[in-house]
Amino acid sequence: MDPASTPLGKMLLEEITPVVMVLRTDSVEEACVKNGLSFVEMLSPFCNFSNIDVPLRTSSDQPYRLRKFKLRLVYESDVHQPNVEVAKERLKQVITKAGEKENSELSSDPPQVSNLLDSSKSELLPSWFEYLNKELIRAASFSEHETFDHPVACLLVVSSMDEQPINRFVDLFNTNKLPSLLNDGAMDPKILKHYLLVHDNHDGSSEKALKILSEMKSTFGTNECHLLCINSSQDATMEHQDDPWASYKNDASPVQHLGCCLDVDDTSAVSATRRGFRNQIKNLWWRKGKDDPNEMPSGSMYTFSSIESQIRVLGDHAFMLHDYELALANYSLISTDYKLDKAWKRYAGVQEMMALAYFLLDQSRKEAEYCMENAFNTYLKLGSSGQQNATRCGLWWIEMLKTRDQYKEAASVYFRICSEELLHSAVMLEQASYCYLFSKPPMLYKYGFHLVLSGDRYRKTDQVKHAIRTYRSALSVYKETTWSYIRDHVHFHIGQWYALLGLHDLAVKHMLQVLACSHQSKATQELFLRDFVQIFQEAGKTFEVPGLQLPVIDISSLKVVFEDQRTYASYPAASVKESLWRSLEEDLIPSLPGARTNWLDVQTKLMPKRLRESNVCVAGEAIKVVVEFTNPLQVPISISNVSLICELSQSEEDKSDTNASTSELENDEDHQRVVMSDSASVILSEIDYSLGGGEKKLVELTVTPKMEGTLKLVGVRWKFSGCVVGFYTFESILLVKKIARGKRKAKQSPLNDLKFVVVKPVPKLEGHIHAFPEKAHAGHLQPLILELKNQSDCSIKNLKMKISHPRFLSIGNKEVPHVDFPACLEKRPDNKQSGTHANLKKPSEGVFLFPEDVAIKGDKPLLWPLWLHAAVPESVPLYIIIYYEMEDTSSVMKYRTLRLHYNLQVLPSLDVSFKISPCPSRLQEFLVRMDVVNKSSAQSFQVSQLSSVGDNWGISRLQTIDGIIPSQSLAVGQAFSFFFMLKSRRQSLVDAAGHVPDLFPDIGSDVRLCPESLKEPLVNITHSPLSDFHDSERSQHGIRNQEDDNTVDFILISRPLKSDRNSEEASDQPQLFSHHACYCRQYSLLPSSNADNLSEQKTASTSPISWTMNGPRTKYHNFSSSFCEISLRMTIHNSSDVIASISINTADSAGQSDALPSPRGWQPVVADTKVASPKVSVAVAGNSAELPSSEPVASPVSPFIWSGSSCSNVQLEPSSSTDVPMQICVFSPGTYDLSSYVLNWNLRKDGGGNQLEAKEKKPEEMRKLWGSCSGYPYFLTVLQSV
Amino acid sequence: MATTASFIIVSRNDIPIYEAEVGSATKREDAAQLHQFVLHAALDIVQDLAWTTSAMFLKNIDRFNDLVVLLNPLYLPGARIASSHFDTKVRALARKYL
Repeated sequence: MDPASTPLGKMLLEEITPVVMVLRTDSVEEACVKNGLSFVEMLSPFCNFSNIDVPLRTSSDQPYRLRKFKLRLVYESDVHQPNVEVAKERLKQVITKAGEKENSELSSDPPQVSNLLDSSKSELLPSWFEYLNKELIRAASFSEHETFDHPVACLLVVSSMDEQPINRFVDLFNTNKLPSLLNDGAMDPKILKHYLLVHDNHDGSSEKALKILSEMKSTFGTNECHLLCINSSQDATMEHQDDPWASYKNDASPVQHLGCCLDVDDTSAVSATRRGFRNQIKNLWWRKGKDDPNEMPSGSMYTFSSIESQIRVLGDHAFMLHDYELALANYSLISTDYKLDKAWKRYAGVQEMMALAYFLLDQSRKEAEYCMENAFNTYLKLGSSGQQNATRCGLWWIEMLKTRDQYKEAASVYFRICSEELLHSAVMLEQASYCYLFSKPPMLYKYGFHLVLSGDRYRKTDQVKHAIRTYRSALSVYKETTWSYIRDHVHFHIGQWYALLGLHDLAVKHMLQVLACSHQSKATQELFLRDFVQIFQEAGKTFEVPGLQLPVIDISSLKVVFEDQRTYASYPAASVKESLWRSLEEDLIPSLPGARTNWLDVQTKLMPKRLRESNVCVAGEAIKVVVEFTNPLQVPISISNVSLICELSQSEEDKSDTNASTSELENDEDHQRVVMSDSASVILSEIDYSLGGGEKKLVELTVTPKMEGTLKLVGVRWKFSGCVVGFYTFESILLVKKIARGKRKAKQSPLNDLKFVVVKPVPKLEGHIHAFPEKAHAGHLQPLILELKNQSDCSIKNLKMKISHPRFLSIGNKEVPHVDFPACLEKRPDNKQSGTHANLKKPSEGVFLFPEDVAIKGDKPLLWPLWLHAAVPESVPLYIIIYYEMEDTSSVMKYRTLRLHYNLQVLPSLDVSFKISPCPSRLQEFLVRMDVVNKSSAQSFQVSQLSSVGDNWGISRLQTIDGIIPSQSLAVGQAFSFFFMLKSRRQSLVDAAGHVPDLFPDIGSDVRLCPESLKEPLVNITHSPLSDFHDSERSQHGIRNQEDDNTVDFILISRPLKSDRNSEEASDQPQLFSHHACYCRQYSLLPSSNADNLSEQKTASTSPISWTMNGPRTKYHNFSSSFCEISLRMTIHNSSDVIASISINTADSAGQSDALPSPRGWQPVVADTKVASPKVSVAVAGNSAELPSSEPVASPVSPFIWSGSSCSNVQLEPSSSTDVPMQICVFSPGTYDLSSYVLNWNLRKDGGGNQLEAKEKKPEEMRKLWGSCSGYPYFLTVLQSV
Repeated sequence: MATTASFIIVSRNDIPIYEAEVGSATKREDAAQLHQFVLHAALDIVQDLAWTTSAMFLKNIDRFNDLVVLLNPLYLPGARIASSHFDTKVRALARKYL
C-alpha cells in the first residue's frame, strides 16, 4: 500500500507543507471581504496542486516528479505557537458543539454488540474525532524547535487603492508585526519575498494598477511582482460551477454566493500568480540545499544559523518536497547531536520526523515505531511544555499503527496521551475504546471499560451528553453482565445524567436497574435510593413501574386462601395441607346416595359444571392472598397502599370483554382502568408498612367481592416511598411455573388458581377456642371453651365435630360447665361413680354429634366446653373440624366445614415411671416404686395424689406423708422415689378352698401424697374428662390385650407449686396435672409411658415366680404316739407372660439350704428374730461366713423331713396360679423354719424348644429365662399336746 | 499505594463465580466497582492468552494504574462459589502474597 494514500500519509501531505506568510494591508482585506472571504481564504483553493507533475532534483542525481503539492497561507499574525489556554478553549468548543449534535440519538437504545461488530468503522466513529485530532495537531504548530511550520516565503500584498503602494510594501515587512520566530532568530530573517498588488475592478480600471506594478517591478525585481485583479464580475450574479472555496470556509453561511464577484479571469490570474511563486520557492530550496551556511558556535540555543538548525531546515524542506530519503538522512545526522546536547525537545522533534519519514518510505516498521515511541516518551518527559507535541506525536503514532491495523497498540497510545486535562483525556479514552473495538479480534471488555473511563471524565467536565453517549455505548457490552458492581455503576450514572438533562423517563429506566443492589454497601444503597426518589420527584409525576424490584416479591410464597365449602378459622388453619384435612373429614362429609366411583363424581352432583371447573368463593367473604415481600437492601424502605389488583365481571357474558382488557395489561392506563372500574364491586384491603434492611414480611391482602360473578386476581400493586407505583402481575410468573411443573398439574392450570366464581352468600360458621394456650407442661389439664358463631340469618343444622388428637383435646359435656374447675373434678363422698357420665354421647369413630337442639344464629354464639390435656411433651398440631349443613337447601352449597388449627407445645414436666416387684412371700401383693423426676425448666411441682385405675387394685403408702417429701414439692431437676404397696382386690384369687383372701377393705385406689393440712381434695379419676383422657392414653398403648388383669394403670395428680407459678402465665386458675401410666406389669414391669427404661427393666433379676406357703403356724401334737405330719400348701404364681415350668426341690439337711444364695431383692423383714430357732440365724448367717458361732448351733436342732416327693414339677400358664400340696414330718416339738427348699423356674419362650438358641443370640437382651429361688422362712411351731 | 487486591474467579460466559477483596488498606468507596472494571477489562487478554498457552498461571497480564491483574482462568462452568471455607482459604493465601 502506498503510504501516501493512507490516512496518515494524506494528513502528512496536508499538514507538513511549506508555509507562506501573508502580509497585507487593510484595503486588501476590504476588497476581499466583498466576496465574503478573507484574502487567505480566497487564495487557499489555489494552493492545492493535485496534479502538477513537476520534475525535481535534490541531492541525489536522480530527479523525481512531484505530483501533489500544497502550500499553506498564513497571516503573519497567526505565525506563532497557539496559546495553551486558547487551544484548550477551542477544543472544548469543538467538543461541546459535537455533543449538541448528538442529542437526538440519546434516547435511543444502545446497539447490540453483534451490530457493533458488523457495522463499518466510519459509521461508528463520531465524525468530529477527525476534526478534533486535526485541531490538536495544529495546536502544536509553529514551534521553534521544528522548522516545517516556519514560513519559507513571505507574500506581501498591497491594494491598488493604497496610497504609495511601494512604500507600503516596504512598511509591511519592516513593521514590528513580524512573528517572533523571525525576530527571535529561530529562523532566517532573510526570507524570500514576493510582492502582490491586488486590484479591485470595481474600484476602477486596471490602468492604475498596471502602472503601480511596473513601478514595483523596477523596485523589487520583475519576478517577484504580480498583479491580481479581483471582483471583475459586474453584476454579482455569476455562479461558479464548482465552488472551490466551499471546503475551506467553515463558518460561511451563504456558501453558494461565495466568490460571486470573482470571475473566471480572476481565477486564472490567481493561478498564474502562484505558478511563478512555485518556481521561486523551488529555487530557494535548491539553493539552500546546496550551500550549507557558515558555521556558528552552537550553544544551548540553536539559532537559524546554527548548523543543526540548518540541517533540520534542510531535512524539513526535503520532507516537504517528498524526498524522504534525504530528509531521513538529515534527521539522523542531527538526531544524535541533539541527544548529546540534551536538547530533548529538538531531539524528540527529529525523532518524530524520522518516524514519519520511515513511514512514508514504507521501510522498517520497527524503526518507525521505535522513533515514534522515542519521540513520544521524550516529549512526555518534558512535562507540560511538551504535552501538546506529545499529543501530536501520539496522534501520528496512532495513525501509523492504525494503518497497520495495530489497533490494540493504538489504543494503548491513546491511553498514554491522556493528560491531567480531563476533557482531553476523555476524548482520547473514547478513541482508545473504539480502537479496542476495531482490533482483531475485538476486545469488547476493554472497549466497554475505556468508554466508561471516558464517560467519567466527560461528566467531570460537564459534557453530560458525551458522557451519556459513551456510557450508552458501554451498555451494549455490559447489558447482560452479571458483574454487579459494573452494572450498577453504569446504570446508576446514566440514570443520573439523563435526569440532569431532564429525560426522566429514561433516567428512571436505568435507575430501576440498580435499585435491588443487595451486594452494595449500605451507603451506596442509600445513595441509589435517594437519587432514585429524587429523580421521581423532579419528574413531578408518579410513575407506574412494572418491574419495580423494591420490594422483591417472592412469588413462590404466594398463597391464596379462599373459602368454599371449606372455611378456616385462622390463617394457620388454611395453610395446613389439604390432604390432612381431607383425611380428617372423611367421616364427616356425607356420602351421597347412589354409586360413586371417585371424588370427581361427587362434585358433579354437588355443583353445577361452572362451579366445578374453577374455584368457588362466596360473595361477602374475603379472599386472602399472602405474599412475601422482601427488602433486598440494608436500608429501610417504606411501602404504602399495598393492594391487590382484581377484576370482577358480572356474568359469563362479560368474561370475554375483561379477558380482552387483561391481555393488554402491559399498558399502564389499561391497568388503571381495570382497577378503578372494579372498586365498586369489590373491597380491597390496603396496607402500609415499612421494611427494615433485609427484612422479609408476609403481607396479607384481602379482596371481598360484593356480588356474584367471576373474580380474577390479577396482581398486586404498591407505592414505594410514596412516589413510585410498582405493580406485579401474578400471571407472568404463574405461566412460568406452569411450564416448570409440567404435567403434574395438568388437570388444573395454575392460572385457574387465581380465578374465582363468586356465588351468593351462604351462612358461614366462625369459631375459635378461648385463650388456647400455646405452651403447656406435660400433664396439664385445662378446660377450654369453643365459641361458634354464625353471622348470617340463615340457620344451620346437623353440627358435627372431630378432633385430630383426642389424647390432647376432648369434648366436654355441655351440661357440666366447668366454671368451678377444678372443683368439678373433686371426689365427693356422696358421688361414688354414679356412672351417668359414662353414657355421655360418646363420639363414634371420633365424630362428635352436637345435640339436635343446638342452633347458632345471629349474634348469639354457641359455647361448648373442651378439655385440654397435655399428654406427652412434644409439639402437637391440633386439628378440629366442624361440619354443618345449611337449613336452606336451595343454596349452592349444601354443607360447609369449619377448620380450626392450633399448635400446642408441650413442655416436659414430671417424668413418672413405675417399677413393680412382686412380693415373693405374698401373692397379689406388690411393691410399687414410683420414680418422679422434674424435667421442666422452671416449674416446681407438688405431687398430690396417686391413683390406680379400676377396682382391681388397692394402693397404700409405705411411708408417712411427711416422710415422703420433706419440702413437699419437687424442684427443677429433682428426682424422688415413692414406695407403695399395691394389692390386688380381684375376686378371682379366692382360693379353691373357699377361703376368702384378705381383701384389705381399708385400702382404696387413691393415695394422698400431700399432707392433709393442705386440704387439697382428692381428684376423682373415674370422672370425665380424666377417665376419657385415660382411655385415650390406654388406646395409645393399645397393643396389649385390654382384658389383661395383671396390669395396672396409675394416674398421678400433681399441682404446680403455688409460690412458683410464673407471673406471665397469669392465670389465677388452679392448675392440675395428671400423668398417666398404663399397663404397668409386675416382673416385666414396663410402665408403658416410659419406653426408655425398657432394657433396664428387662435385665432386672426379679423372679417371675412368687409363692406362698399356706398352712398352720402352730400345731399341737402328741409326739409320744407318733411323729407329726403336717400338710402345707404352696401357692405358686407365675407373673410372667410365658409358660413357666417350676420344680420344687426340697432338702432335708440344713447344710444344703445354707449353700443356697440368699434371695436378692425382696427380703421379708421378720420382726421378731428372737422367736426364731437357731435355724434362722443360720439362714441369715449364710451371707457372712465370719460368724463362726452360728455354725455349731445348727446340729442340736432335730430336723424335720419333707415327706412326699422331693421334687415336684409344675407347669404354669402365664399369669396364673396353682397350688402344690406339701408335707413335712416333724419328730419332736420345736419351731421349724421350712425354708429348706429351692424353686427352680424355667420360662418357656415360644414353646420352650428354642429357648437356648434365643439365649445364645442375645443373652444380654433376653429376659432372664431361668433361675432358682430358695425358700423363705416359714416358721412352724409344733408343741407337745398334753 | 493501597495494597488491596480483588480476586475474582470467572466462569464461562464471563460470570463471576467468586469475589473476594483482600488487603489491609482502608476501603475506598468505589474500589469494588473499579476492581471489577479492571478485571472485567482484563478478560480480553485472558481470552487471547488462554488459547496460546497451556499453563494455568498467566502471570501479570494487564495493568491499569498500577493495579495488577493476575488471572488464572478456571474454565469450569459453575455457579457462584459461596463456600465460606474457600473464602477463608483464599484470604489466607492472599495474605501471603500481599
